[in-house]
Amino acid sequence: MKRTPLFVEHKNSNAKIVDFAGWEMPVSYESIIDEHNCVRNNIGLFDVSHMGEVFVSGKDSLKFLNKLVPQQVSKLVDSKAVYCQLLKENGCIIDDLIIYKLKDNDYLIILNASRVDVDYDWFVQQSAGYDVKIENKSDELALIAVQGPKAKLLIEKAGLSLDNQPAFFSIKKASIFQTEMYVSRTGYTGEDGFELLMKNEEASKIWNLLLEQGKEFGVKPIGLGARDTLRLEAALPLYGNDLTLDTTPIEAGLSWSVSKTKEEDYNGKRVIQEQLANGTDKKLIGFKLLDKSIARHEYEIYMNNEQVGIVTSGGVSPVLGCNIGLAYVKNIKDICIGAVLQVKIRERLHDIEVVKLPFVKKNNKV
Amino acid sequence: MSITEGMLCSKTHEYLYESGDNYTIGLTDYAVEQLGDIVFVELPEVGSEFVKNEVFATVESVKAASEIYMPVGGKVVEINEAIVDTPELLNESPLEKAWLIKIETSTVSADSLDLLEYEDYKDEVQ
Repeated sequence: MKRTPLFVEHKNSNAKIVDFAGWEMPVSYESIIDEHNCVRNNIGLFDVSHMGEVFVSGKDSLKFLNKLVPQQVSKLVDSKAVYCQLLKENGCIIDDLIIYKLKDNDYLIILNASRVDVDYDWFVQQSAGYDVKIENKSDELALIAVQGPKAKLLIEKAGLSLDNQPAFFSIKKASIFQTEMYVSRTGYTGEDGFELLMKNEEASKIWNLLLEQGKEFGVKPIGLGARDTLRLEAALPLYGNDLTLDTTPIEAGLSWSVSKTKEEDYNGKRVIQEQLANGTDKKLIGFKLLDKSIARHEYEIYMNNEQVGIVTSGGVSPVLGCNIGLAYVKNIKDICIGAVLQVKIRERLHDIEVVKLPFVKKNNKV
Repeated sequence: MSITEGMLCSKTHEYLYESGDNYTIGLTDYAVEQLGDIVFVELPEVGSEFVKNEVFATVESVKAASEIYMPVGGKVVEINEAIVDTPELLNESPLEKAWLIKIETSTVSADSLDLLEYEDYKDEVQ
């Protein structure tokens, strides 16, 4: 099992530790619901050092990245980022990731912990014939997410004034507590926030300074449990649940992120264009339970006693005070916002209502 | 007298104690702490009967659903409605206010042979 450079800090804070994609990670420190509300109202710190960082450089970088994703990477100006999906030739999703343009021919890619090895192998395999250098720095770098409406105040206190903070989906090199690192305005909570990318050996010092200096803003360390409830309220997909090797970005409701005018060829382009034009057989929906029960991953969805879909993510919404989920269902007209379907929980059917996504309005655009 | 006096616990973290003519069953404080925030409880209907080790209830935390097993066989005579309405009571008072069900049983002496006294159970899990 792998440990991040902050493992000792988590143990000292009495975190409950779980196995996540081969990493010993904190699932919670106290109450998941309190941690969730802390991020929505104040500020939370997440150790996401298990995530992968791959740097792509060389004169064919842009051409290479454009081949891998359905987004238009050429549109990125220096220091901007774009949310992407890494696609196979059949249009299905190998991983979802963020590509940051540091400067011309110099990109940073942040990937899911569970997919680092698969993605890296894919990059290398796909790079034949391109003049690119692909460096997996995942084991050398730590990533701390600082999320919540007061995150900007803590980052200001740490040395980066409000005027100098990167804009939404941007990245810059900056000094945080006198330590050089990358600071990006991204996250996985639906709140305003930052992700701080630094060398492993700096992580403990920065983590403890953020906790100490953030006290006046109500900062708390937040585990993977609340990370999941936060991202679900914001309807941010989770690879392995909502996105898999059996789903395309169009089926996953990510058409908004896909370029409709991209001229360059990319893996899966034929399938993506076909689905954009003619629709898909399945679609991702959001739902809320109409009673107090909870739908979980892989529970079945029914309409008129016939199975029409499957839950991919489900859980509680502390903000809404009800239980919510995401599911793939047949792409038919009758399954629309406001429709009432059923989910099978322990052999009994419970009513759910299809609702608009995200469940909770995002507050991350600054 | 402490509530844990005479309390018996199973390896799957249910407790059992005698209350008048019946027996009270609940989830141990250790189990509740491991589960974290409890957000949903499903209890059986009064009158239903279960044998030892049969699933009789489900308790859901934020993270997952857990099945709860009968520490001894018996017939449900009362359920704790308060925890159905207020599942978080299980986090606050698992041994006193947040018991799950009361049962009548005639098999307690045979069924409770493998149960541990509360103090021994605590030693075992900690």
